[in-house]
Amino acid sequence: MEIAAIQTHGLTRRFGALTAVEDVTLSVAQGQFFGFLGPNGAGKSTTIKMLTGLLEPTSGSIEILGQPFSAGSLDLKRQIGVVPEGMALLGRLTAPEYLRFVGRMYGLDNATTNRRTEELLDFMHLADESKKLVTDFSHGMQKKLALAAAVIHGPKVLFLDEPFEGVDAIAAGMLKAMLQGMISRGATIFLTTHVLEIVERLCSHVAIISQGRLVANGSLEELRAGVASSLPGAESSQRLTLEQIFLSIVGADAQEPAQELSWLS
Amino acid sequence: MAVVGHTAGPELSAHTGPLGALARAQYSALSRMRWSMFRNSLRSNRGAMELGARSVTLILYSLMGLGLGFGLGLGAFAMTADNQLQILPALFWAVFLLWQVMPITLASFQEQFDMAGLLRFPVGFGAFFLLHLIFGLVDISTIMGALACLGIWVGISLARPGLSAWTALALGIFAVFNVFLVRAIFAWIDRWLAQRRTREIVGAIFFVALLSLQLLNPAFHQGDHPGNHGEISSKTRQQGMRYLMLANSAQRWLPPGLAASTVERASCQRPGEAFEGMGVLGLYMLAAGSVLAARLRAEYRGENLGEAPSRKKAERHSGKWLIEGSGPMGAVMEKELRILTRALPLLYGLLAPLLMVFVLSGLYSKGASIAGHPLPIALLISLAYAMVGFTQLFYNNLGAEGPGIQILFLSSTPIRTVILAKNLFHAVLFIVDAVLVCLVASLRFSLPSPLVLVATAAWLLFALLIHLAAGNVFSLNMPYRINLGRMTRQRGSQASTLLSMLIQLAVLGAGAGVFALCSVFDRLWLAMPIFFAMAAVAAAVWLRVLGNVDALANRRRDSLISTLVKTD
Repeated sequence: MEIAAIQTHGLTRRFGALTAVEDVTLSVAQGQFFGFLGPNGAGKSTTIKMLTGLLEPTSGSIEILGQPFSAGSLDLKRQIGVVPEGMALLGRLTAPEYLRFVGRMYGLDNATTNRRTEELLDFMHLADESKKLVTDFSHGMQKKLALAAAVIHGPKVLFLDEPFEGVDAIAAGMLKAMLQGMISRGATIFLTTHVLEIVERLCSHVAIISQGRLVANGSLEELRAGVASSLPGAESSQRLTLEQIFLSIVGADAQEPAQELSWLS
Repeated sequence: MAVVGHTAGPELSAHTGPLGALARAQYSALSRMRWSMFRNSLRSNRGAMELGARSVTLILYSLMGLGLGFGLGLGAFAMTADNQLQILPALFWAVFLLWQVMPITLASFQEQFDMAGLLRFPVGFGAFFLLHLIFGLVDISTIMGALACLGIWVGISLARPGLSAWTALALGIFAVFNVFLVRAIFAWIDRWLAQRRTREIVGAIFFVALLSLQLLNPAFHQGDHPGNHGEISSKTRQQGMRYLMLANSAQRWLPPGLAASTVERASCQRPGEAFEGMGVLGLYMLAAGSVLAARLRAEYRGENLGEAPSRKKAERHSGKWLIEGSGPMGAVMEKELRILTRALPLLYGLLAPLLMVFVLSGLYSKGASIAGHPLPIALLISLAYAMVGFTQLFYNNLGAEGPGIQILFLSSTPIRTVILAKNLFHAVLFIVDAVLVCLVASLRFSLPSPLVLVATAAWLLFALLIHLAAGNVFSLNMPYRINLGRMTRQRGSQASTLLSMLIQLAVLGAGAGVFALCSVFDRLWLAMPIFFAMAAVAAAVWLRVLGNVDALANRRRDSLISTLVKTD
């Protein structure tokens, strides 16, 4: 049996009275492009933080590449790359300085770090901005730099929290090609985003979290089939978009009807 | 594309602990990162100014530390030479208090690196702990503490060279204990401040402690009336001696006492007892290190103290207005009040003057007079100290806005209105604080004459307006983002702090100078019109600054927004 890239059992995180993530059990196979979706405040970023060792779970377990994972799992941390929420960049460094810092923090030797830094800057079209401080970068450029930092050490598992937010169409296309290249070479990608078209195009498997609980998990085809069978109109599952699947599962219909704003009518 | 998808290249082993190859490479990376950040900060004029201010601060405090070290060294030399080592604990207690209390007063003055950002890298706990200790090791309290210890060591070694090794060992352990303890205290304070319930408990304890200190002074001087001064003083003295002896026997088991007793016992050729004392001191050091490690371990594991509201739908209510009146002025003042009530470090700054009045009362309550008259300067100093607590409010009045600064520029309200509302709110707050300080000071120093009171009020008006005017200029030209929920790990601006301190000193100097001159010429009444005239000039300056606020804010808009919003 092949070892899962990411495996969680009963993953739970509470913040006082709030249970942000509750009893999440999921498995992501190696080489999978996995989309993790959910409405705002559903627990996506909290889950990613737990999966990358930035947040301690209240209960439950995590395995990465078949080994138990915690904040002190240094060898495993070197196998994962992260674009965290907020990007965690250092504004007072230039892009090359930041990439060199990250490379060395992951234990790469100087020569490798320098070579990869140059390649990444070229690839991300940031080489011309090498004198500029990160704080002066546009949001899209900062995203590209955060992604470059996440892959400099050649991770086997990549966690991306909203990596395409604020990135222009050209850069987004380039990044998608890069991520697909990683998948073809056997890497695993765990992606959260609100842009459902991207998930639909890139991801083979999707999980949906709502109010901290996993409400759907499977391949896109499985989710389509499941939703199509539950729809009264029996719409063809082939015609269902991920947006329709998402809204159907998350239950947007059941939410309160939108009220008219008196001063805008 | 050579990088993506490939496995990592040549790597260093992760299994050799905090001194292993990977950890060493990480220390080196962090050092280079800090150096690059420092070098890059000099690109801007502001960065160069910050460096200048930091250098001045470091030189000033190093000089103070050298003076302190020299004084303590002299004291240690005299005690050792006169064989009076039983009073050596006094020096160690002074160092201990300096080391532990100074960081609180300088919390917003020192920049600390937030280590949480390193957790996504393969950094072991040992390395994380070590880095936490190393970053900020060259802070002001450590420099001064180390210089003080050095002074004591030199003093004792010169008097009795045979005690040099013992003293070095005891001081070394004592210094490490102090470093561990101060870090542990701050780490725990930050943890308590991060959550509302613990923040409220800490706030309540702090408030009770302040009140207790205020009550302590009258308790000490109970029955100390002019009529029966001699008789009661003798009783009080006896009672005091009893307390002192009790305190002395207790302090011998505390770290400063243990460090001093190690030296004392070694001087009496009792190495066994000296080792014993040093051993207990070592245990204290380990205990402080463990308390710090427990906190850092929780941070390392990925502790998140953020408070999230429950998913249950909150009851709908419109909420109560704290400040009546609609419009932008009311809105800004309301926001300021709400933020203030949720920021313990700011509240600490506002309440700290009461503590200072207590300290001053100890100095002046008996000799609070020059030739039998109450000292007018005592009230002035108390009020000036009260103003120190307002430094951040006055001189960085946009710092807490963060990304919200954009709303101020986007709204149709002129920035001048916002600043005016902030000024009025801060002025009201200061007047309330000043009245409280005056009340406490009157109880301690005896009621000042109406003339002194009115003159002081006039000076206060002058000082307030000057600080508001200068504060507005600083806030627009040298803003820095602050996190009001934290005591430590703030970025701050040393240039702004240093310059604002200089202005405060100048304002206090002007007040003290006028009072002193009028006292010398026996024309104290003259201070009143002089201060009123100064207040009128200050009012004109403040109005002029306020009139230029919109133009200045527009000129500085990009810089203001990028400073308060930008990625750290």
